[in-house]
Amino acid sequence: MGKVKRTLLRLLEALGHNIFYLFLLLFGQGGAYLLLKPVIVTYLLFSRKIHRNAACYLKRRFPDHGPVRLWLDTYRLVHSFGQVLVDRGWLGLRRKAQLRGDLIGGDRLLELVAEGKGLVLLTAHVGNWQTALAHIRGLAVPINSLMHYEEEAVAKHYFDLRDGTAPFKIIKSDGFMGGMIESTAALGRGEVVTIMGDRYAGGPWAEVEFLGATARLPSAAYSLAAATGAPVAILLAAKTGRRSYTIKVWDDFYPATGERHDRQRDLGRWADRFAKSLEGYVRQNPYQWYNFFDLWSQ
Amino acid sequence: MQELKEQLKEIIVRDLKLQGIEPAGIEDDAPLFEEGLGLDSLDAVELVVLVQKHFDVQIEDMDEGQAAFKSINTLTEFIEARRK
Repeated sequence: MGKVKRTLLRLLEALGHNIFYLFLLLFGQGGAYLLLKPVIVTYLLFSRKIHRNAACYLKRRFPDHGPVRLWLDTYRLVHSFGQVLVDRGWLGLRRKAQLRGDLIGGDRLLELVAEGKGLVLLTAHVGNWQTALAHIRGLAVPINSLMHYEEEAVAKHYFDLRDGTAPFKIIKSDGFMGGMIESTAALGRGEVVTIMGDRYAGGPWAEVEFLGATARLPSAAYSLAAATGAPVAILLAAKTGRRSYTIKVWDDFYPATGERHDRQRDLGRWADRFAKSLEGYVRQNPYQWYNFFDLWSQ
Repeated sequence: MQELKEQLKEIIVRDLKLQGIEPAGIEDDAPLFEEGLGLDSLDAVELVVLVQKHFDVQIEDMDEGQAAFKSINTLTEFIEARRK
């Protein structure tokens, strides 16, 4: 792609964001939701890439859907993602704006934290995960979030807009050993480390059965927990209404690994537990897993 | 210092369950990760925990880890410096 084209696309993207911000300021969340519909239809009509990327997941979630229904599925997925982005902008721009959140399994999280072994909180690219992270402020121990650059930029942008203070400390996963050293130290202090369990972007991995086929998921979180003795809890957020969402603890366990040559198999077992939870989540909320990567061909 | 190096080699082979490697066969200046002893990021986590457990020395961040985990020599120096 040429430099001029790249610059033009960046300017168009910035213009798009600013139009949405203007709508949010003038017409609120509802106004921006209305604008979202024609924007997404236009996007889907002109971008082949979005159909290709969304199909990796949607074809597995809805194997019996033909081209027309798949087009509509893509619309619903992108529309739902767009609503999450609008919510994020709305929360940032309107100081008094709030989403109502229900935490299911909060007591279990408190019990796990109280054990003092630290807690690996596994989450995924679902719902409004920044809001979900803000919701666990009440755990009484510092929260760290292991993130790669792109997620870090989005999270910082969101919390900069919101009130300037992120509810967690960011550990960069693109440094030496993928942030594992800082994460180990944090767990050693009894703190919480949140990790995205659904996107493999390098480092150790495990193969799991997910939506009817073998997929590759990251496995560093289980190794981290096994080495430090920390428990793992799976926490996934879902939007349930225009201004409401739930955050649910889907599962918790203490990963362990045996012999070195069995390590890959052991880590796979724990990654499988995560895959089962995520599969349960996407059965309930098919249009809230914002995955545009082909995990099944990695 | 030499005693600490031997102790570290013992711990690495035993606790990381390295097979086919004798502690005495680990060179003091050989890289611990990748092309050297062949440790990976999963081992790095365990090594941080082992150093804490056996020597009560905490490795806090990647800069410290990167410097300390180069070889047995650097890890020994790191532990010695922190223990004082």
